[in-house]
Amino acid sequence: MAVNGRIEELKNAALSAVRGAESTAALEDARVRYLGRSAELTEIKKSIGTLSPDERKEVGRSANLASREIEGALEAKTAQLSAGEREERLRAEAVDVTLPGVPHPRGNLHPSQRIIDEVVDFFVGLGYGVAEGPEAETDYYNFTALGIPPGHPARTMQDTFFLDDGLVLRTHTSPVQVRTMLSQPPPVYVVCPGRTYRRDSDPTHTPMFHQIEGLAVDRGLTLGHLKGTLAAMARHVFGDDVTVRLRPSYFQFTEPSVELDVSCFRCGGSDPNCKVCKGAGWLEMLGAGMVDPGVLEEAGVDPEEYTGFAFGMGPDRMAMAKYGIPDLRLFFEGDLRFLRQF
Amino acid sequence: MRVPLSWLREYVDFELGVERLVELFTLHSQEIDGVYRLGVTAGEVVVGEVVEFGPHPNADRLSVAKVDLGGREVQIVAGAPNPYPGARVPVVLPGSVMADGTKLKKAKLRGLESYGMMMSERELGISADHGGILLLDETHEPGRPVADYFPVGETVIDIDVTPNRPDLWGMIGVARELAAILRTEFRVPEIPYEAGGEPTGAFGLRVEAEDLCPRYDLRRVSGLAPGLEAPLWMRRRIHAAGMRPINAVVDATNYVMLETGQPIHAFDAAKVHGGIVARRGRPNEKITLLDGTTRTLDGEMLVIADEERGLVIAGVMGAEDAEVSAGTTDALIEVANFAGDNILRTSQRLGLRTDASGRFERGLDPNMADLAMGRVVGLLARNPGGDVAPDTLSHYPEPVQPWRVPLRLPRAELLLGMPVGAEEAASRLGALGCEVEADGQELAATVPTFRRDLRREVDLVEEVGRLIGLDQVPEELPGVPQPGGLTPDQQRRRLLRRLLADLGLSEAITYTFGPRRWTDDLNAQGGAGAVRIKNPLSAENGNLRASILPGLLDAAARNKTFGLRGGAIFEVGRVFAPDPPSRALQGAALKFRMTGSVDALGPDAEPNKDSLMGVREEESVGVVLAGTIRPAGWNAPPVRAGFFEAKGLVERLVPGATFAPDAPSFLHPGRSAVVRVGEVKAGWVGELHPETAEKFGLDGWPVAAFELDPGVCRPDVEPRFEPFVSVPAIARDLAVVVERAVPVGEMAASVQGIGGLLAEVRVFDVYEGDQVPEGHKSVALGFVFQGERTLTDEEVDAEMARITAHLDERFAGRVRS
Ligand SMILES: [Zn+2]
Repeated sequence: MAVNGRIEELKNAALSAVRGAESTAALEDARVRYLGRSAELTEIKKSIGTLSPDERKEVGRSANLASREIEGALEAKTAQLSAGEREERLRAEAVDVTLPGVPHPRGNLHPSQRIIDEVVDFFVGLGYGVAEGPEAETDYYNFTALGIPPGHPARTMQDTFFLDDGLVLRTHTSPVQVRTMLSQPPPVYVVCPGRTYRRDSDPTHTPMFHQIEGLAVDRGLTLGHLKGTLAAMARHVFGDDVTVRLRPSYFQFTEPSVELDVSCFRCGGSDPNCKVCKGAGWLEMLGAGMVDPGVLEEAGVDPEEYTGFAFGMGPDRMAMAKYGIPDLRLFFEGDLRFLRQF
Repeated sequence: MRVPLSWLREYVDFELGVERLVELFTLHSQEIDGVYRLGVTAGEVVVGEVVEFGPHPNADRLSVAKVDLGGREVQIVAGAPNPYPGARVPVVLPGSVMADGTKLKKAKLRGLESYGMMMSERELGISADHGGILLLDETHEPGRPVADYFPVGETVIDIDVTPNRPDLWGMIGVARELAAILRTEFRVPEIPYEAGGEPTGAFGLRVEAEDLCPRYDLRRVSGLAPGLEAPLWMRRRIHAAGMRPINAVVDATNYVMLETGQPIHAFDAAKVHGGIVARRGRPNEKITLLDGTTRTLDGEMLVIADEERGLVIAGVMGAEDAEVSAGTTDALIEVANFAGDNILRTSQRLGLRTDASGRFERGLDPNMADLAMGRVVGLLARNPGGDVAPDTLSHYPEPVQPWRVPLRLPRAELLLGMPVGAEEAASRLGALGCEVEADGQELAATVPTFRRDLRREVDLVEEVGRLIGLDQVPEELPGVPQPGGLTPDQQRRRLLRRLLADLGLSEAITYTFGPRRWTDDLNAQGGAGAVRIKNPLSAENGNLRASILPGLLDAAARNKTFGLRGGAIFEVGRVFAPDPPSRALQGAALKFRMTGSVDALGPDAEPNKDSLMGVREEESVGVVLAGTIRPAGWNAPPVRAGFFEAKGLVERLVPGATFAPDAPSFLHPGRSAVVRVGEVKAGWVGELHPETAEKFGLDGWPVAAFELDPGVCRPDVEPRFEPFVSVPAIARDLAVVVERAVPVGEMAASVQGIGGLLAEVRVFDVYEGDQVPEGHKSVALGFVFQGERTLTDEEVDAEMARITAHLDERFAGRVRS
């Protein structure tokens, strides 16, 4: 039958066009040409109604078979071509992955503040509050209330900046402890970080520096509690391996008074040339002691009922040890070459 | 306190290496500042007799000697010319090690063999004298080790004595301490003498200022041989302890001071008129001291005088006049006790601190005078060989008696956190010189008067604790019966700092005091002035900061000089302003500041006491962006400091802040704003006025800054759920032309206010130039509309019409097509 022959021809032409297509666009052309609205095969299908019932059946069947076969070929070829083309596109889209990403520059926290935050977080975790007080402090809170009345030799040890009559720049954060004790009854568990001032300027002293002092007043507190608390603090800041030792010392507002050394976190005492401990194996970390009964009384606390411990440390020096900073004066210059390292 | 160990061994026996000794002192008593070595630390030094002495054939400045080392003759080349045939000299043998670590070898000096070395006083650690070879007297036998006569090497430990322990300012006190640590005995060998010289009573003694002079003892030593120096062993010890030998009499007084801690003064009796008077200074009285300075006294200074003139500023320094000298044959020895706080005051007034004043100001034990006097006159009797007067003149009206201090063992155990046995506590306190009675768990210690620091039970607890050893104290944690935490303000400041750091800024900490230009150059607002430091380190650094800005600007300028291209820094800290109390409260303020008393304020005292502080102190957060704050990337332009960079940070820190012109005059008048939260002023933001930038050395760099009250910052806003509609929103844009002066922020806010279906307004472009009339700008706004159900175009068109009308009406805005 002539029509069937033509269908066969069209099918073969279509299949060969599909096979020969080299792009999805050429494939689309082939689809329009052989299966589109005005394609010959479409026309043939439309004209089926004019044929005799016998022809209708036969032509219809072969036209449909041809269509399906062409469609199948189109589909297979499309998949083949588009996969290739996608690969091509991805290849073209490749970037140099070694170029830097969009910057989200990291800022910095001051090294002393890093230590202060760490220490404060440790004590907050134990249940301590954080107290602050004025940096321009009264003579009474800075000295007398701590057992250093006017004329006391210890006053000369603390080169003081004087402001208006009876006002000083606090020489330590201890007055915050006094204010705390005066404002709340025991139990007291508090740390007091802040800036302090002494009239002293040389390579190892700056006229402004930081202190963190702490105070615990409760029933039954012992030197053992002091030692255990500070040992745990040292491990929090310098690592789990460090140990502590107490040495006797002297401070005006504690009795007994001790100094606490932390074993060198770098060498543990094994390196005579260690840059951190200078071969000593120990780092002098803080002064501490049991609160002097006279100081408790001055704050209205009965020393027979309550005992307490107090401690003070220098976060600037702790930062120097921990981060290997050689010169204290770098801390307060705002030098970005320094600040950007933290 | 420098302690030569050979001296220490006179009072206490110990078999310890110096490292262990240092460790024991450190862990049980006082810190050791250093360990020094003098003389010959290892090897052999023997007495030699010079047989021949003559010039070196090949060197003008060298000599050569033949020295008999006890049957063995050696040749030694010397640099000093003072030996002579027959002289006895110390010879250090090859192989010995000197204090500085050098090892002596057999050497050839200018062609001649030299076996060992003849030694100077300095090389032997006897004194600083390096003028010649030490010549030994006839008692030194050739061939015998010099160490048989005196130590040829010395180890000195330098104890950093805490101010509460004046008893450790003497060798005897240190020996007692060491014996207590080692649980061994200590002794003070007696210095016997016979009395029989001229009577002290030939002179008078009158103490007029009894309150400043609790004790004054005077004893005469006559018939002194003039012109002698102290014996070698004594000079050696004095030198090793860090003092300078002077003459036989002065050295004896210094020696006993080093031994007992008690300063001693010697007058030349021939120059004392009538007697000794201890009195206050007279108006305008002048005294010329040993150091050559002339000082004017005041009525609170104690003077030791004779009947005619002042001889000594008591406890500080003597005058030239009556001082002992090489020619002194008759001496009056003063051993006295002065009020420590008065000596401190005098020494501060005069700006003159001496070894003696440093000792007196700590408060010495008046009972030490007897021991000290006995030892010094005994030493003088031996050398330079004087006659001790039979009588001592003594003014000591109120002798200090030992006192009793109770010690409850349970109390000691509570404070120390470790067990303390009664026997152990008693023996430890006994070793310190206390007499201890025990009654079960209750002890009572009678404290010797040289331990003035042991007044209270707790003082004894410390002594027992440190002698037992603080290493015995266990590590424990108390059960803290409260939740810890930061206050909301502290938490906010913490978040603020973290946020700024996370946004790429660097945290700085700058000095809170600075120069006057900090306020002058910022045209200090309001003229309240600055809080002043009375005694600043340098005259120009005497103002407390009223703003964080100037310190950060100085820092930025430094970074500019360092060659950086810019940066972003911030600081959170205090700023200060004077806040003087009212005239009526000034007396009350001073009383509060000195005594803590707030009685003058009446019943409302507690809450109002801050009004007496005189300084208002507030937290502040400051930011300075300067120069290039973010360098160019390969695909991004550089970010330079500017108003909108700073403002963006403010908006992040203070959501809901409003901005209006009228910022401080140190800012660019057209690029600055006051920041408000509601009606409350929260700070300012802006670019620096070019004049300000220039004053701070920042010209050429764009600089933007802000300073805010951290209290209004909301670095982290407490979130709250708002219901949302899930039907899609519709977006439309609009470009409106308005006059240039119209504030776009106001336009956006105003449109936002019309409500209806409008959910969001955004400014996405502002344009001036082509196609926009002169003096006008085109503002592109983006809108998002949101309804309960999907909106129709007609509904959105109606809303857009409303917005267009509003912009026309309020801002004369014409829609650009
Ligand atoms: Zn180390």
